[in-house]
Amino acid sequence: MIFIAILIGCILGALIGMNAPMISYTYSSYLAIAVIAALDSVFGGINSVINKNFDLKIFVTGFFGNAILAILLTILGQKLNVDIYLAAIVVFVGRMFINLAMIRRYFVDKWIKAFEERKNRKSKKEEKIEAKTEEN
Amino acid sequence: MKNGMKKGKITMIITAGIACFALVLVMTMQFKIVNEADITSIENMRKSELSTELANWKTRYDEVNKQYEETTAMIEEYKNNKESNEETSNLMDSELEQINMSLGKTDVEGQGVIISIKETDNEEVEKITSDDLLVIVNALKLAGAEAISINDQRIINMSDIVYIDAASVIRVNGERILAPYTIKAIGDSSYLESSLIGNGGAIDEMKKKGQDVTIDKENNVTISKYNGDIETKYME
Repeated sequence: MIFIAILIGCILGALIGMNAPMISYTYSSYLAIAVIAALDSVFGGINSVINKNFDLKIFVTGFFGNAILAILLTILGQKLNVDIYLAAIVVFVGRMFINLAMIRRYFVDKWIKAFEERKNRKSKKEEKIEAKTEEN
Repeated sequence: MKNGMKKGKITMIITAGIACFALVLVMTMQFKIVNEADITSIENMRKSELSTELANWKTRYDEVNKQYEETTAMIEEYKNNKESNEETSNLMDSELEQINMSLGKTDVEGQGVIISIKETDNEEVEKITSDDLLVIVNALKLAGAEAISINDQRIINMSDIVYIDAASVIRVNGERILAPYTIKAIGDSSYLESSLIGNGGAIDEMKKKGQDVTIDKENNVTISKYNGDIETKYME
């Protein structure tokens, strides 16, 4: 169910984004920062789901709040003539890598466990079969 | 409990959908912008690029402006030269004209006097000699005559007025002249007249001798130019 919602959201977003009017190139840096912030939030959310401490309120506020904050910081940086967006990118992308690493570790662990379980089961079955043949 | 779970799930689904929608929307817009934006066009340049470009153009503008100023200055100089050349040539022209006029190389006109001297048939009266003419010419010169001619022979600085006894003729500028003599002079007509008439004046003297001399003041006397060539051989 949730995957259908995500799929519909993605398709709708892509369609509307394709047909949306062009935004001036000047503002594209703000948009890029917002995208990075949102992506960071998404990976953070996935990570928290894995760790079973996912909170919808925190996710939503983080998703939009981080994006808006990143945009505001970028604007402030341009006003101050400091490239603050570089700091934002470093932080967000660094966190994205950390979250991705957590996710990867979780799935790797899961797969290894599943693999071992199957192996164990298989060996147990073999033992059983062996025992049965011995009985026979 | 189950109802609450369901509600939470629905909100979760909706939020996930909205989040995905927003994210993908912004991302596609950004892709589009980056794809279609022409980075080399001025509108899309970054501030630093713009400022370097601006600085480049400024230096070029300065260079061109400098060149323009130099060229303008050169043109001004040429103009001045031309003007001064023109001035000098004008000055030279007027000087040349002045010199030609005073040398007697041009026809001139102006106020002055015309003196007519006629030979009389009376045998007792002295004949007109070159001395008479010389005296008159000298008197005219004294009175500030600017141009003098005798029977259209222009008197210039090297003119001669001689009487040749053997042939009993008067020569002016080496040319023989015959009576009646007409002496034309340009200058202040009253000065010229007063230098000749009156007590002791040359014309009065001549009249006393019985010679037929008349003097007329004229507003417009025309004196023709010197016919010969003015040559200098030894002068340097």
